[in-house]
Amino acid sequence: MTMNRTIETDSQEAFIEEIEKIQDALPKRIDANSKNVEKGLAKLVLTLVELIRKLLEKQAMRRIEGGSLSEEEIEQMGETLLKLENKMKELKEIFGLKDEELNLNLGPLGDLM
Amino acid sequence: MKIYAYGIIDSNSGMDEPLRGLGEASVYNIPYRDIGIIVGAYGHTPLLSDEAKEKTDTYILEHERIVERLTEGFTVLPMRFLTVFNTKEDLLSMAELYYEDFKNNLARLHNKVEFGMKVIWPADTIKQRVVDVYHKTKHNVSISTESPAKTFVKEKFQEHIIEKEFQEEANRCVIAVDDHFNKIACEKKLKKLQTENLLLNASYLVDKDRQNDFKQAFEQLKNTPGDLKFLFSGPWPCYNFVTLTKKPSSVDYFNTEDMLGRLLAQQGFAQERNSV
Repeated sequence: MTMNRTIETDSQEAFIEEIEKIQDALPKRIDANSKNVEKGLAKLVLTLVELIRKLLEKQAMRRIEGGSLSEEEIEQMGETLLKLENKMKELKEIFGLKDEELNLNLGPLGDLM
Repeated sequence: MKIYAYGIIDSNSGMDEPLRGLGEASVYNIPYRDIGIIVGAYGHTPLLSDEAKEKTDTYILEHERIVERLTEGFTVLPMRFLTVFNTKEDLLSMAELYYEDFKNNLARLHNKVEFGMKVIWPADTIKQRVVDVYHKTKHNVSISTESPAKTFVKEKFQEHIIEKEFQEEANRCVIAVDDHFNKIACEKKLKKLQTENLLLNASYLVDKDRQNDFKQAFEQLKNTPGDLKFLFSGPWPCYNFVTLTKKPSSVDYFNTEDMLGRLLAQQGFAQERNSV
């Protein structure tokens, strides 16, 4: 059988851009050297902290949506989440990391966040 | 000299005609029981860096050319690009370990091809629409803004509801696209929203004799009014449908499609491309 292949689109540039975004989510290999090893480790740790923070936030929003939190509980939760977010901003600034860098490509499972 | 593996085939016989693969090396079959591993000598070390990008791109196309050529005569389980073994013994150990998986996959993928479908949607417009609806809707949950903490929670809650609606809209859209192909495909793999704009990145496994039905389904979809953009490609060797029950310990031997897709996308679309 000869494969009579069709590759068809009317938006070539748009697709190249999106495909490159997926592939650039993470470098394929960790570029570890004495100059950037600290940043690399910070990136890994902050990615995991960010994941946990987002999960906590999501769970909190679900509880609000379900109407199971009192005004006082919302206040306490808001304070905690606000402090956590501010601390993360501070750490990202210290290590020169951007939001989009705090992600992990899990291969067939897709991106962590 | 190391051994470069292109794929597993359902035959342990020699090749009908000589083939040249990466670096012009001869391509041949190493038999294992009733199947074979198509390989070539490998003495190169192309890196996936910018400097070596051009050479690597050539190698990806060479890999694809060999796999595609094999599909003309055999059922093929394509190996991942740059799957290299140190010795023939390593290769045969791999064949021994995965023999049952290979046999099952060869039977499952016999007479099948793969099609790819990527869909871009106008994420910004959709999100704006969701935001507008959110602000016009009366909500059951009301959070006051009497403190910074509550104001923060209120903003986060809005984001949460808007994101939820955005995801639900994406689900509806994916189902609408997938409905066109669902009855024709034997199997499918759908990845939703890998980026905000890339609504769907799908691979469909299709019987060879239903390829035209599949293409017609795409024509129908393409002519449906709407603001979706499509990238349709195929038939391909079954890159995305080889499934192993035993997970490779350190290497993923399969799946070259994404890398190849990016490369072909850059080389030009809307073309009929015949295999060698």
